[in-house]
Amino acid sequence: MIELDTLSVTFAAGSALRDISLKIAPGDRLGIVGESGSGKSLLASCLMGMAPDAATLSGTLTIDGVDMSDADEETWRPLRARRVAMIFQEPMSALNPLRRVGDTVAEPLRLHFGLSRDEAAKRVAELFAEVDLPNPERRARMFPHELSGGQRQRVLIALALACDPALLIADEPTTALDANVALQVTDLLVDLSEKRGMALVLISHDLASVARSTERVAVMYGGDIVERGGTDDVLHAPQHPYTQGLLAARPDPQAALRDEQGKRKRLPTIPGNVPPLSGLAQGCRFAGRCALERPDCATARPVPHGPRMLLCPVVEGAA
Amino acid sequence: MTLLRAEGLTRHYPLPRTRVLGPRPRLTAIEDASFTISAGETLGVVGESGSGKSTLARLVMAFEKPDAGSVAFDGKDLHSLSRPDLRRLRPEFQMIFQDPYGSLDPRRRVGWSLGEPLRAMGTDEGRKIADSLVQVGLHAEDATKFPHEFSGGQRQRIAIARAIITRPQLLVADEAVSALDVSVRAQILNLLMDLQEELGLAMLFISHDMAVVAALCDTLMVLKSGNVLEQGNAAAILNAPQHEYTQSLLTAAGTP
Repeated sequence: MIELDTLSVTFAAGSALRDISLKIAPGDRLGIVGESGSGKSLLASCLMGMAPDAATLSGTLTIDGVDMSDADEETWRPLRARRVAMIFQEPMSALNPLRRVGDTVAEPLRLHFGLSRDEAAKRVAELFAEVDLPNPERRARMFPHELSGGQRQRVLIALALACDPALLIADEPTTALDANVALQVTDLLVDLSEKRGMALVLISHDLASVARSTERVAVMYGGDIVERGGTDDVLHAPQHPYTQGLLAARPDPQAALRDEQGKRKRLPTIPGNVPPLSGLAQGCRFAGRCALERPDCATARPVPHGPRMLLCPVVEGAA
Repeated sequence: MTLLRAEGLTRHYPLPRTRVLGPRPRLTAIEDASFTISAGETLGVVGESGSGKSTLARLVMAFEKPDAGSVAFDGKDLHSLSRPDLRRLRPEFQMIFQDPYGSLDPRRRVGWSLGEPLRAMGTDEGRKIADSLVQVGLHAEDATKFPHEFSGGQRQRIAIARAIITRPQLLVADEAVSALDVSVRAQILNLLMDLQEELGLAMLFISHDMAVVAALCDTLMVLKSGNVLEQGNAAAILNAPQHEYTQSLLTAAGTP
């Protein structure tokens, strides 16, 4: 349905995405995991045809067999919302504070489907019910500030669903929410994807929520997909040194707090910091922080290999 | 030795009137919370937003007065001290905040921001700024840079450097690692453990994330809508939570 082939995005400071290839089929649930600066949000904006003007793009993006690489706004507009929709991290700033949330959700319905005011209102109530907002007709008349963070995110999901998209991209949808509410919202996304046969791309730094809700996962670092495979395989048996470091750095609530000497146990860490775009190595992006590094890692571009896609010349691939 | 003792801490906030002549309803931010923290020990406070975690921090830091209850720091009741006395005691208890972008003045060099607590104390800066930067894993030269030259994790290190520059006995951390990436978060948590062992710091560590609290805390207090649901030994609560709510927080923080 959507296919990215060797997409690269370059800014003046350096390349922010390098040769990203992805296929998303109807009903797929793909997680994209990475830390700040890994390029995951940029990748999402490329999927929506909203790459920043300052960026130079290469590679191809195909939606439903149509090459969208050079498509202009006119070509994109009908696709957005109806084929690909997106929800963002901050549910408050994505809603107009001066409009009733029902009117906001009705807008694309009237615009894209030409529904009358009453028809749109009826559809909004159905959508609100679908995203488990209690008392949908009453919620539709409320303003954003009258809703809780979780309810606002549900409104935005309803808005994204309004035009029956084939793919929903969720960029850090739960970061601003409390842990319990985040769990409910993630579960709702999975539920909707299953019921509607809608593909879901979940972008998150939260490994737990990606593990819960996706079938496949791509791990990003410095603009590369460093490892990609089945979510369970990758998260339970990570192979790329970066994925391993990332998973180890998560504290385990059940682990013992202190060692035999009574000293508090330290968490395993990845040495150093993510360098700025201009400071990333030309070869493997993880060079300089990696425990398995070889002399030529920093200069030689690694080639993806293995049945589970792995971007590391040192580690042998496995399923 | 008990450094901090809070007893029956309660704080209400008045809400807007619902009727013109009616009484103003009250929001109970925190109700009857009691706890102690000893030197070198960490108390973790967990709960969702609105559970009263930050109110608790503000009361311990004596930024506002409780409606009932008391906070005794090193035997002195913080809320009955005179303003000058409280000011003289402040170097002993310091705070770090969630947002490392908002807590540093963007127009001032890092060294200036670090020196502010020292100037407020009226003590000499001397080598202290350079020393505290090195202590949190940065370089002495970083004092001449501006906040925008640092990453989020480095800024949080600067905020920690500023908090420990007065050699406090107690550090209050309100969601201090929530805004950080996973790998950076691990580095900062380790730094807090290092500093605690080095300086014998007591910590009040506030977070919504059970996993983070588990890595750092000796004792635990679980808050929900201003009420203390359970408190006690951290390992005991983590291994056998008594409340459904605590269990749900643990599930939410679950390993992938």
